[in-house]
Amino acid sequence: MLLAVLSGFFVALGLPLIIKVFKGPNTLWVSLFPLSLFIYFISKLPAIKDGETLSSSWAWVPSLGIGLDFYLDGLSLLFTLLITGIGTLVFVYTSSYLKGHIYLDRFYAYLSLFMASMLGLVLADNIITLFIFWELTSISSFFLIGFNNDNEASRKSALTALSITGLGGFFLLTGMVTLGYVAQEYQISALATLSEEIQANALYPLILVMVFVAAFTKSAQFPFHFWLPGAMKAPTPVSTYLHSATMVKAGIYLLARFTPILGNHEWWNGPLIIVGSITMVYAAIHAIFRLDLKAILAYSTISALGILVFLIGLGTDEALLAAGVFILVHALYKATLFLVTGIIDHETGTRDVSKLSGLNKVMLPVGIAAILAAISNAGIPASFGFIGKDLIYEATLHLGNMGYVLTGLAVITNVCLLFAGFLAGIKPFIGPLPPAFSKLHLPPATMWVPPLILASLGMVFGLFPMVVDTALIKPIVSSMTLGTPTFELKIWHGFNIVLLLSLLTIGSGIALYFILKPSEVLFAKATRFEKLSPESAVNQFAKGFVSFSSKWTNFFQNGYLRYYLITILSFLSLLLGYRLFYGVEIYVDTSTLSDITLYEAVIVLIMAAAIFFTVFSKSRLTAVASMGVVGYCFCLIFLFYSAPDLAMTQFSIDTLTVILFVLVLYNLPKYLTLSDTRDRIRDGLLSLIFGALISILTLEVMNETVTKDITSYYAENAYILGKGKNVVNVILVDFRGFDTMVEITVLAIAALGVFSLLKLRLKSIEKE
Amino acid sequence: MKTLIFKTASNYLLPLLLLFAVFILLRGHYLPGGGFVGGLIASIAFVIHSFANGLETTRKIIKFHPGFLMPVGLTIALVAGAAPWLFGMPFMTGLWMDEPIPVIGLVGSALFFDTGVFLVVIGVTLTIIFTISEGL
Amino acid sequence: MSSPFVVLPIIFQLFLAVLLMFCWTQKNLQKLISVVGSLVAVIISVVLFAAVWKEGIYTTQAGNWVAPFGITFVADTFSTLMVLLTTLAGLAVSVFSVGSVRNARIKFGYFPIYHFLLMGLNGAFLAGDIFNLYVWFEIIIISSFVLITIGGEKAQLEGAVKYVTMNLLASVVFLTAIAILYGLTGSLNMADLSLKVAEIENRGLVNVTAILFLVGFGIKSAVFPLYFWLPASYHTPPPAISAIFGGLLTKVGVYALIRVFTLIFIPDEFMINLISGMAAITILSGGIGALIQNNLRKIFSYLIICHIGFMIAGLGIYTETALIGSVFYLTHDIIVKTTLFMVAGLIFKIKGTYSLRLLGGFYKEYPKLSLLMSISLFSLVGIPPLSGFWAKLFLIEGGLSVGNYWLVGFILLGSFLTLFIIAKVWAGVFWKDSIHIPVKMQVKYFHELKPLKRQAMVGSIIFLSVLSLSIGFGAEYVIQVASKVAESLMNPQDYIHAVLGQTN
Repeated sequence: MLLAVLSGFFVALGLPLIIKVFKGPNTLWVSLFPLSLFIYFISKLPAIKDGETLSSSWAWVPSLGIGLDFYLDGLSLLFTLLITGIGTLVFVYTSSYLKGHIYLDRFYAYLSLFMASMLGLVLADNIITLFIFWELTSISSFFLIGFNNDNEASRKSALTALSITGLGGFFLLTGMVTLGYVAQEYQISALATLSEEIQANALYPLILVMVFVAAFTKSAQFPFHFWLPGAMKAPTPVSTYLHSATMVKAGIYLLARFTPILGNHEWWNGPLIIVGSITMVYAAIHAIFRLDLKAILAYSTISALGILVFLIGLGTDEALLAAGVFILVHALYKATLFLVTGIIDHETGTRDVSKLSGLNKVMLPVGIAAILAAISNAGIPASFGFIGKDLIYEATLHLGNMGYVLTGLAVITNVCLLFAGFLAGIKPFIGPLPPAFSKLHLPPATMWVPPLILASLGMVFGLFPMVVDTALIKPIVSSMTLGTPTFELKIWHGFNIVLLLSLLTIGSGIALYFILKPSEVLFAKATRFEKLSPESAVNQFAKGFVSFSSKWTNFFQNGYLRYYLITILSFLSLLLGYRLFYGVEIYVDTSTLSDITLYEAVIVLIMAAAIFFTVFSKSRLTAVASMGVVGYCFCLIFLFYSAPDLAMTQFSIDTLTVILFVLVLYNLPKYLTLSDTRDRIRDGLLSLIFGALISILTLEVMNETVTKDITSYYAENAYILGKGKNVVNVILVDFRGFDTMVEITVLAIAALGVFSLLKLRLKSIEKE
Repeated sequence: MKTLIFKTASNYLLPLLLLFAVFILLRGHYLPGGGFVGGLIASIAFVIHSFANGLETTRKIIKFHPGFLMPVGLTIALVAGAAPWLFGMPFMTGLWMDEPIPVIGLVGSALFFDTGVFLVVIGVTLTIIFTISEGL
Repeated sequence: MSSPFVVLPIIFQLFLAVLLMFCWTQKNLQKLISVVGSLVAVIISVVLFAAVWKEGIYTTQAGNWVAPFGITFVADTFSTLMVLLTTLAGLAVSVFSVGSVRNARIKFGYFPIYHFLLMGLNGAFLAGDIFNLYVWFEIIIISSFVLITIGGEKAQLEGAVKYVTMNLLASVVFLTAIAILYGLTGSLNMADLSLKVAEIENRGLVNVTAILFLVGFGIKSAVFPLYFWLPASYHTPPPAISAIFGGLLTKVGVYALIRVFTLIFIPDEFMINLISGMAAITILSGGIGALIQNNLRKIFSYLIICHIGFMIAGLGIYTETALIGSVFYLTHDIIVKTTLFMVAGLIFKIKGTYSLRLLGGFYKEYPKLSLLMSISLFSLVGIPPLSGFWAKLFLIEGGLSVGNYWLVGFILLGSFLTLFIIAKVWAGVFWKDSIHIPVKMQVKYFHELKPLKRQAMVGSIIFLSVLSLSIGFGAEYVIQVASKVAESLMNPQDYIHAVLGQTN
């Protein structure tokens, strides 16, 4: 199983190379890869049917408890079969659809990458591994949606899709880490037994929110749904594969998979029912006003996903059964309709449903596939869709009073969906053939066979439900409810209210089809409310966020060094002041300090005067000279405290500095006063505050009694061990000689810097 | 500033100051002084000379670019620091001769190190000042 | 354990730099010495890392003076890991420099100063003495300042002045902090300080001193509101230089913050709140700053700030798990940010611009290079299982365990912004069709370079991309290292014993 999942990644890497080697127009053989995976998974069907589960594992990051652990049960089997089965057909379809495209190799690579990620996602038995594959599906879909990368709209919708699903991804990550933290268990199959503990934990609501947002973004639930219609910019095989059959169902899979762990709690059921029902009704109504075939399908897909979320939210055995069946039903007919749309688009060059009709006359097999899919979608008796719809109504009806409202919503949704299905599946094929299309002919078999297979399956399962009943559906339900389901899929339940509802749905849907004709006017009317849609709200928010970003950034990064320094110093002063006055008892013990001598007083006065001159002088030379005076005063202080070495060094340094300054001064432009009085007062105030804080701090530190063992060690051992009488020098070259070595390196670098700065002027025209 | 007296004086001052600088370097271990101050004094000697006689004259006396003293000084310091490795001792461990040398006194690796400092300081100061004066 | 060769990574770089200074004018010889030397430096640091990993902390006392009287150098897992990463990134940048740095710059000391910078970085990581750490910071500032200015282009100088002013301010604050700490304890040895600071009764003063260290290192590591120097300067120097800056300069600050605030100052509640607050706003500021930039290097500069926030967040959460996250992120970030700036440099060499609006068409024209560049871009985002992903797991778990939900929220926001920005860069530089960009006279384009130079640039990017892939896929090993680091950070007794001996 490990190999089955990972093979996709290797194929993705190797494919561009292989395709280059086997240069040829026909790439049908690539489909053998998904086909073999499909055969592999279908061979597991008997085992799963008998209630077994298969697993494999490979420790990857054991210290985090993360492994490539895979687990195959009914639920994951259904998904793997959809992924590989529809995948095979999409691969076949692509070989004609994108025939001769220069980047066909990359397309197949991304498609394989996506397939592998999706398989990993539905098979993962570790919540972190699940997340990893989840993110990989987002990324590979980013590349697939943006496949037509020279088209700006295509790039934009790829970015939107990635942002929304990526956002959901981070929520999932947090949810999974929280779940792992709460349960101290990362294995999904083991988590179900800890369900009660998890639900009792205070972090349970947080986990729920995180998982919900992740699922809603991925499965395009209101109000995150808008990325899906945008993602229709992708080539049709991508829309078929990702946006109807597999990736958008990942959120559904997540919810289904976590039902036994997080479900059966009012906080789980309530939000799912509400969001699911809003989505299904909202999107269904949207679907009927669209003109673009792909948009119709996109909205009807969102609506179908809403139904699924809604069913999982109901959480009863019946509802989960309905969900399991509906996943399959929907995948079959929706993929068909997408593939058919692709053919129409490919052959006629338009997807505008109001312009399409009569195509049956030129491409009958395509028409048959489409009409069969529309029938299954409508839930007309004898189709698989009929069984699906029956189960939905049964699930809602058995909920008591609340059930009637929900059933009503389900009926409205289904009526709209039926209409949308007819619009997409029947309208283009019946009626008169416009003269513009009369020259069209049937596309190659690789394009029309895949939809026909899918549509026929929809009918076969409808007529003979026992084919899938025990083999597929029961194991699905048992992996969601953890019990042994007792039901049987039947095509005929007798005359009851459910049948009536079904007939009502079909009747009103067909009636609607004859009343409502798609047109620009209607579309325009329907899109009047776009300003209030979540998409424009998000766009507004994004715009606001960007403008906030530039305000914030430009406020702080304003380009003026002085403001940077002011910010830093104010920040430091604020913190210092706070900690000093709220944490330290400030007092100065004057008795421990020595008296101030006359020399000291005089020198301090001179220094103060010199600093005053430096700051207020209008001539640079005066300022430099005053700085020199400050330096020499330091020398004197060093001398008073018997540090002749320091005094000597300071003296030489100051002399050289003044010389340097004087040398440089000749080259500088005239002195300008750039700051006004207010600025100067502000700067002066800040300097005073900062200086005062440091002074107080220093005084406080001097109050502390410290054992001076290091100082005395130096003094005592300089001669004995360091063999020198001058302690300062021994410290410099021996005790702390390493520092000295680094400091002379600093000097050397500085000299190199001055040298290169003054000597090397790169001429801007000189090319090198 | 290029008066005759200053010029003549500086010609005598240069060797004297240089000698003084070396003296300061050598006595550093026992009395105030050392490589750092020594180097500064030596540089000041050259700077004075260049002020009096012009940069070119001073350059001719030194013969090579003063920047060359930097890697030389660093090498000496590095060797003095790394020498103890040969004896399996940590970097910069003081190594001392058994017998004192006349005039200079007891010689150890610290003195070599200080000489390195001395040279680097001269190299740095002169490079900076010469470069800046040339730029004028 | 004691070994005189702990300082070898430092001394070897000094040796290289001095050797290079002797070869001042021979540019080809300099290139050879730098590359071969960097390779040897990698070997040295691997050996040191392996030794420390197997046998525990190594120390050496410079001058053979017993701690705490002399200068101690300590090689524990954290510092040797950092040295290893420095030399790896250093090797890549050295090779990249061979391909991309102008000969004029090489003739004015580019390579010696580059190795001085590496010496400073290694020194800062190995220093066991707080004043010695300061001295290494000096080396780092001065050599990076010279590297920014070398060539003297106007934009470079403007950035350099801001860079050096604020970094010198940081040094002044740091030095003041050391002086005050010395006044409080009479010691400079970090292990000794750990013991002595714990004994001080006047906690208020300790807390004030801690603030000085926080701000000093905070400026270095570019956290909010102290990061201004970074966006002002990182986009100005030649690509090779901004690569090493982007990879390593801020990380020294982060290293120092983590070291000092786990060893010497154990944060109190106020400090924890302060650090996590700064981390959160740093993430925000960096993320939204990158969002509105158009220049590729400015985008990456702001992303550095954003991700510094992640590392500081680990310190703000202050649990072992969170510190594992910080150390892992540090490891990943050094490699990936270095690569990213090299990628930006390569893009510039090919197209002659950094502007997102003007760039385009890479995907069509250079499919293989695009694939290569996508590795570092998407590693940065942390698309699992690439390297940026794993650290976040630890940070989130750490944040949850102490109930710091809003910080977790900011980490997610930062991740999301990074994802969005990188996707935008991808769409803009790689997907969008290229438009005509006027040929610039002063740029020597990629296709005009000698094949060897081209291979040097691409080869160094491949090298680091492979490294970041192995960090991602071999996360287990990095996690083991990071766990050991975090464990010893939270329990510094071993460190103290190794320096001061068992008796203390």
